[in-house]
Amino acid sequence: MGSLEQKFLQLSWKLHPDNFVNASEEEQELSLKRSSELNDAYRTLKDPVARVEYLLEIEGERKEGEKKQQAPPELLEEVFELNESLDELREAKSAGLELDGMKARLQAAEANFGQKLAEVDTEMQATARDWDAAVDAGADDAARKKIMARLNEHLNRRSYIRNLVVSVAKELAEA
Amino acid sequence: MGRTVGIDLGTTNSLVAYMDAQTGQPKCIPGPYGSTLCPSVVSLDPDGNIIVGEPARKRLLTQPERTIYSVKRLMGRGVSDIQDELKLFPFRVDVASKNVIRVQLGEKKFTAPEISSFILRELKNWAEAHFGEPVDRAVITVPAYFNDAQRQATKDAGKLAGLEVLRLVNEPTAASLAYGLHEKQRGLVAVYDLGGGTFDISILKLISTDDGDIYQVLSVNGDTHLGGDDIDNLLQAFVHEQILQHDEIDFSPHGEIAQELRKELIALKHQLSEKESATLHFPLPNGKTFEFEFTRGMLDALIRPVVDCTITPVKRALADKELKPEQMDEVVLVGGTTRTPLIRRTVQEFFGRAPHTELNPDEVVALGAAVQANILDRGVSNMLLLDVTPLSLGIETYGGAVGKIIPRNSPIPASAQEMYTTGVDNQTGIDIHVLQGERELAKDCRSLARFTLKVPPAPAGLPRIEVKFLIDANGILQVAAKDVRTGEQQQIEVRPSYGLNDAEIERMLEESIEYAEQDFAERQVIEARTEAESILIATSKALAGEQANAVPTEERAKIDGAVAALKESVAENDYKLIRKRIDELNHATMNLAEIVMNSAISTALKGKSVGEV
Repeated sequence: MGSLEQKFLQLSWKLHPDNFVNASEEEQELSLKRSSELNDAYRTLKDPVARVEYLLEIEGERKEGEKKQQAPPELLEEVFELNESLDELREAKSAGLELDGMKARLQAAEANFGQKLAEVDTEMQATARDWDAAVDAGADDAARKKIMARLNEHLNRRSYIRNLVVSVAKELAEA
Repeated sequence: MGRTVGIDLGTTNSLVAYMDAQTGQPKCIPGPYGSTLCPSVVSLDPDGNIIVGEPARKRLLTQPERTIYSVKRLMGRGVSDIQDELKLFPFRVDVASKNVIRVQLGEKKFTAPEISSFILRELKNWAEAHFGEPVDRAVITVPAYFNDAQRQATKDAGKLAGLEVLRLVNEPTAASLAYGLHEKQRGLVAVYDLGGGTFDISILKLISTDDGDIYQVLSVNGDTHLGGDDIDNLLQAFVHEQILQHDEIDFSPHGEIAQELRKELIALKHQLSEKESATLHFPLPNGKTFEFEFTRGMLDALIRPVVDCTITPVKRALADKELKPEQMDEVVLVGGTTRTPLIRRTVQEFFGRAPHTELNPDEVVALGAAVQANILDRGVSNMLLLDVTPLSLGIETYGGAVGKIIPRNSPIPASAQEMYTTGVDNQTGIDIHVLQGERELAKDCRSLARFTLKVPPAPAGLPRIEVKFLIDANGILQVAAKDVRTGEQQQIEVRPSYGLNDAEIERMLEESIEYAEQDFAERQVIEARTEAESILIATSKALAGEQANAVPTEERAKIDGAVAALKESVAENDYKLIRKRIDELNHATMNLAEIVMNSAISTALKGKSVGEV
């Protein structure tokens, strides 16, 4: 069992509302508040993406709800092609044409971007480890800011690719 | 403070259970008919009395227009939600019902929480008769996949029945508590729960720690409109069609004959769980008898669509935590419908292991509720239940889209904060629409609540209102708002869009609870008086007999004193005093009873030789 989970379970024993059914209303309120905070924290820290988002947020590198929706330059060409295929599919669909060939092409694109998503996740994990190491080593602000910028970049890239994958999957499901 | 019980408020049957302190195991309480199952059927007799359980079930045949079953299907739902239900179930919904559905029973109308409260009250009575003490707190189980409105409706029903609902516990989670205690299971457990009207799948992790055992729910999924009822409906539709073809008789699916047929078909379904074939003999209104031989194969073919429907939620629950069927250490079956051989086989094939069926699938949820009731009653325990919210919570954003703020399968209690501001100068309110569900558009999700945040007049964009959404341990939403600039708190009353509002609950409570509180004491007094009367008659009979002469004078005086004291207490309304005096009289007459008994035996033996005895 990981230390995060262990800590979560330990604190759950202490804070969960089940332990305060016969306590004063004030204590019950407090238990509800604290246990929801514990659960929210666990939820955030357990998910690698949410964890990075949260880190950037508390470090002031990213404001809540802020997402850059610019295509990463190295993906521009592929994204352009993908959008074209999506348009073609929509047109063909409304004209009632045969879709099989286009679907196969989109499925390939979906797999391609799915793989890119996995890649960016791996990169982000590596950078997150760099961050941990930098913090442990007591790195200076400038060094931290640099890693932070990389994390931010990964996150933007990830959210962009993820949106693509979702929209392709949706289009395919409806086709 | 009274006793605390666990209640399974089911679609078909409801049960009440408690933790037996002596054995350390939970136990279901039988009702006056000997069974622990109370049919979830409510009837209003022509005198205006509410009848619940077995006697109400009999009235389904004789007075279908005054009787209702499967009311759980209506809990927390609006008129537009239940159009499909209305085709298959004999619900006589009041057409004037707006937000809250009202059902017609004879000349009266009731909401679903009210009807459920009658069932809860009946179970409360069973438990009170069993303990000889009032019961005022309960853990009530709900399908894991119940949404906020359905949970709130269940909590309202508890309140209307005069019960403080300590916790709503998810049915499969309750079942795993019962099994965990029984089998000492560890690891990953899948609980497949097919009830009368709902299907739930829960994936749990059972962990032993130094502090005790933790039951951590990882993910849940399900369908609140899939259950044994659907199997019965398929069977019924099939037989209706056969009768129409062979005998050209078409009867309304809601009438008396249909109820009779349904009853026969359910019995037939149960037979086919035990043997390979069974024959239906059904007397028709034209005097003929419809005969049909069902084989298990035919039943399987007929019900396969329902069974297959359960597999999709199972796959989703596993996929949410990136788990595979073969990773489960245990599989548990819950709900009477899982006795069906096809279901057992399908589950076994899917998970690749034989499911647990050691505990009675009808009772296991109530038993688990009793375990949780006991944990909560004592405050601290060596068992801890960590549950999740089954559906994502979201807020309607521009263009009717939904912004998710708490994803499904988040551990509860869970919370989320959102910041709101105004779009035009001096805007005084911001409308918030809270939804539950997985779809991306608000219109496809379940509307939970709408409310308006109050904003002090200010230039656009300046106000900052922080809204905190909190899902409590019952899976019910609470909302609080704070003006960040002034620090002023706003009270927000969140009542589900299809729920009862506080005023309605208050009115219903006035109608039911107050006299129900008296109820218990009154019933106890009546029961104690009846018992007192029979013991007084027996005593006076014994004293009148000649054997009474054998009683010493001093003892006789004691008996007379106890008799007088008991008679005096019967005139009062204190059942505890009556019970005490009964005990005292019993004690005083111990010797007398022995003398009478001996004499009775010797009378019986008179004139008989020892050898004849």
